Amino acid sequence: MPGRPSDPGSEAVVPFSPEFRDPVVYPVHHGVRPPLLRVYVAWSRGSLLHLACLRQPLPEPESEDSVDEGEAGGKVVEVRLRAGEEGISEAHRRRIAYGSVPAFALLQSRKNSLMAMSRMSSSLLHGEWWQHVLEYSKNISELLGTRRLSSNMVIEDPRMVVQPSEEPTSLKAAWELMEIFYVDKQSLTWLPERLVDWSEEYDSLLTRTELTIHSKLVNMQKKLANVKVVEDDPDYWEGMSSALAVGWLDIVVKLLRFHGSYQLDQLDNRETENGLVEAVAVLVSTMPRLRPDPSSGKLGQFCKTRPDFIKAWEKWRGHLSKLERSAFWVQCSHDRTREGLQKLLKIMLGDISNITSATCHWMELLVSHLLYIRQFMVGLEGLNNLAHKCRQLKPTVHYNGLMSLLIGILEESPEVVLAECSKTFGPWMVAHGIELLTAGSDHADILLHEERYSLGGISVEELHRLVYAQILSSHPLTCQIAPTYLASCPKQGIGLLENLLYKQPIQHHQVILKNLEICRLYELDNISVNLMKIAGMYNWKHGRRGFGIYWLQLACDEVRLNRIAQQLFDCIGKSLSDDSFKQWEGLLELLGTQVGSSGGLEFLHKYRDFKRTLKQVEDGRASNAARQAAESLMQLMRSPSTPRQFWLPLLHDSVKLLNWKARPLLSVSEMNLLLNKLQDLSMGKLMLILTAAASLSALCISGRKILNVL
Amino acid sequence: MAETGEYFHRFPQSKSVDAVRWLSAVSAFDRFVAAAVHDPDASSSAAAAAIEIHSLTLATSPLSPNIGEPSLHVRSSWPSPSRISALRSSPTPHKHVAVAAATLSGSLHVLFVDPVDGSIDSELSIADRSLHAGLVSAVDLLEGGRECITAGEDGRVNRVTIGEARLEYRRVYDSRGLVSYTAARWGSPMEFATGGLGFGVQWWDQRKPGGLVSQFRCNWRQDKATGIVHSIDIHPSRKHICMVGGSSGTIFAWDLRYQQQPILLSGVGHDGRRVSVSESEVWEVQYDGHSQSSSVTSASSAKILPVMICSEDGILAVLEQGEEPTELLVEPCAINAFDIDPQNPSDVVCSLEWETIGILMRPRESIIA
Repeated sequence: MPGRPSDPGSEAVVPFSPEFRDPVVYPVHHGVRPPLLRVYVAWSRGSLLHLACLRQPLPEPESEDSVDEGEAGGKVVEVRLRAGEEGISEAHRRRIAYGSVPAFALLQSRKNSLMAMSRMSSSLLHGEWWQHVLEYSKNISELLGTRRLSSNMVIEDPRMVVQPSEEPTSLKAAWELMEIFYVDKQSLTWLPERLVDWSEEYDSLLTRTELTIHSKLVNMQKKLANVKVVEDDPDYWEGMSSALAVGWLDIVVKLLRFHGSYQLDQLDNRETENGLVEAVAVLVSTMPRLRPDPSSGKLGQFCKTRPDFIKAWEKWRGHLSKLERSAFWVQCSHDRTREGLQKLLKIMLGDISNITSATCHWMELLVSHLLYIRQFMVGLEGLNNLAHKCRQLKPTVHYNGLMSLLIGILEESPEVVLAECSKTFGPWMVAHGIELLTAGSDHADILLHEERYSLGGISVEELHRLVYAQILSSHPLTCQIAPTYLASCPKQGIGLLENLLYKQPIQHHQVILKNLEICRLYELDNISVNLMKIAGMYNWKHGRRGFGIYWLQLACDEVRLNRIAQQLFDCIGKSLSDDSFKQWEGLLELLGTQVGSSGGLEFLHKYRDFKRTLKQVEDGRASNAARQAAESLMQLMRSPSTPRQFWLPLLHDSVKLLNWKARPLLSVSEMNLLLNKLQDLSMGKLMLILTAAASLSALCISGRKILNVL
Repeated sequence: MAETGEYFHRFPQSKSVDAVRWLSAVSAFDRFVAAAVHDPDASSSAAAAAIEIHSLTLATSPLSPNIGEPSLHVRSSWPSPSRISALRSSPTPHKHVAVAAATLSGSLHVLFVDPVDGSIDSELSIADRSLHAGLVSAVDLLEGGRECITAGEDGRVNRVTIGEARLEYRRVYDSRGLVSYTAARWGSPMEFATGGLGFGVQWWDQRKPGGLVSQFRCNWRQDKATGIVHSIDIHPSRKHICMVGGSSGTIFAWDLRYQQQPILLSGVGHDGRRVSVSESEVWEVQYDGHSQSSSVTSASSAKILPVMICSEDGILAVLEQGEEPTELLVEPCAINAFDIDPQNPSDVVCSLEWETIGILMRPRESIIA
């Protein structure tokens, strides 16, 4: 992070939570016998900690042989730190991270193209923009988990009321909450119904410690399995009224049909009772609901427009009050049935005391209010006031992250929402949820996009993306998706991406190629050149000379190639016999013939060609090979790239050509060139001449011979 | 792709999948896939890498009566001392299926898998650094599973005989690091091909002294961007042609009879024109028997047989000479390896960068008709 660890507060780049928990002591098994002299602690990659434990040196140093292998003087231990967060495993977290990359990247590219196309200010974009964000949000939400019913629930248990399903995650619940309030502009008109749906899905997550309607129903269901006459059980009626209060109509109707009066043997003498139960069931299943999609498979009478709904609601209320005042109640002999049914009717009629007693959690009470009393609640302010009242009626001791998030949303405070996202759901949620938040309100948009001096000139949005990218890059498996997020950070992203790429391992060519691919995608040409240079030097030093030269050639690193060339010439100079030259073949093949691409190394190529033709000359096979050899010899001698240490061997080789019987191969000027080189060498190093006396004399003799001929 | 989407199934693994291979099966209902996995979070480095044998079962559901819904389960697992860099499998004349795996640290392991229940019955290995000093980039098993070749970044090429109780190797060539090899493939029991830097391909014949018979180095790209060969495939009926895949989306066929005229299927040609299916690394090439059977004309003609490739930019495609490539998958992440089931060429297993094994089941002729 580009942060300074010192003085937190206004200077801190990463906001630290001020609440410090009590320190926890974890034992670490290091296997070094006490007493320990020193313990060094250092951060390694990601959440790995390196502990170096050193022992007190022994007072009398024993000889090397007698030191026991097990008695190490110290050890380095790796300690992995894990946050004990509930619910989601590391692997699942990574899966979410991977899955959200395409959606995020698509949204960013759309944003960029919209920006570029229209050059509009971001506030003008909102008209169309929210639909893109909605699509993004739906993609992410799908990734976080599928709907309740899994496919293996094909055969339904008739006695099953609450479907056992995968535990919904609060992460998904939080995401959907943000989608409802910030993104989906269509949902604003039927916000109450969406909240009803939401609470149906995630009721079990509202609180872990206290009772919810969901847990109540689950308990009741367990109990009902063993009860013959359900209508005698008060829990049956209570469960039903609770389910009705939060609008789970299908559960209520299903439960009503369990009523004993439906059994064939009792139908005759409980006719009136059964009629009442059925009448309530019909009324429950025809409750008017203001929602646009009738295809949701839910019970009720769906109305798309408000006038339709008001008409239907009035009619339905009429039926309700008619039934309530009906004379049949007197004929109903079963007391519990009568009371229970009347309570259901009261709930539907919006009786506050009944509703309050039927619900457990304040969120459930809120939903109940929205369903039966204030169906036309619009605007967050009214909703917030209502929620406040509900919280007073059903006080909760402990607000979990999800509830705090909801309160933050209702209070229209993006700061609180962001803080809750960060605290409860982690950096993934913040980095991705900001998109929803900014789509929702201009206030949040400005707040999150404003460049802040205290953050080093970056915006809050960028900061959270950077934090998330850092977390991604701390794990070797997710670090390849970090560039997507870094690239979306206009100020610091590319710089950090460069750092990240430099830190990647370079041991294996596959990894290097993957990193070069990232460079190519983000047009970081200079980084890719540097990576190739690093890879080249690494391979060269580790004995893979071909690979080293290959990378340096790609990087066009003349300087290093020239240095390498000197080392190579020394090597080749030592092992100059023709046999050993063969093993250089492959490398020379790689170097190619192009001038300039490989520093001084193209000399080796020419030298190899010369040696090859010379071999043919020695074998006495081709006569024009001799001419060719002489030509390439002269080229080598004239070329400035021919290293000095090769002059003498070349002169030595030239003797063979000078002694060619058929005809003279070299002209006078060429001969002079050779003699000049020889002279140069003798001036430079007298010693060399002594060792090469033989070749010198041979050369002189041949030279004289040629001159004589001429 | 829309039309292949329903035939593609993803199986998240929670660790990185480095290589995948089909194992030849006895039963058509219970097939096995060997996967080389690596978990950097493992508590010790010894437990980090493994070979897992997964069984693939197809359950027919009322929703899709023709194509079964595949499911993948780990049957057995073998811990590898180091991360696996190359994986191959081959049936043996005995009851077992041989799986050869080479590692980053230079060791070679051969596992014998029971084709009935997917258990690993025995294992042979050369674990010291005598075989390779460093990464073994390629391994290939000879049909019948009695011999394999290994080639490495250290510039060694070895031929390993798989005996009853031990592995014995013979060094074919050692360049002492002057050249690195990155791909290897058998052509016949006596011949094989290797690939390396600068799109170099070498053809080796065991009957010739020295082994190296001919070699090819790409010279169609005059600019600085040359590349590395990642994969070679040789069709059993056309042993003179090496199908080569490498950097920058380059796929070419090198015909031993016309060594200086490689046929470019994808990449940048002589004239600098780019005809390519991908611009990034092509990690693997294989001849695609399934596409071959669907095109009537290619069987007898001199055209290059269709090949399947996978790439760093997430493309799995089938290429045919002179035709537009058919993209089977376009993934948001790299496809690092794939394998076509030799027994059911319509089925492809692939390893995705995001810790996932993918199974693509292409519709067979009968289903289309």
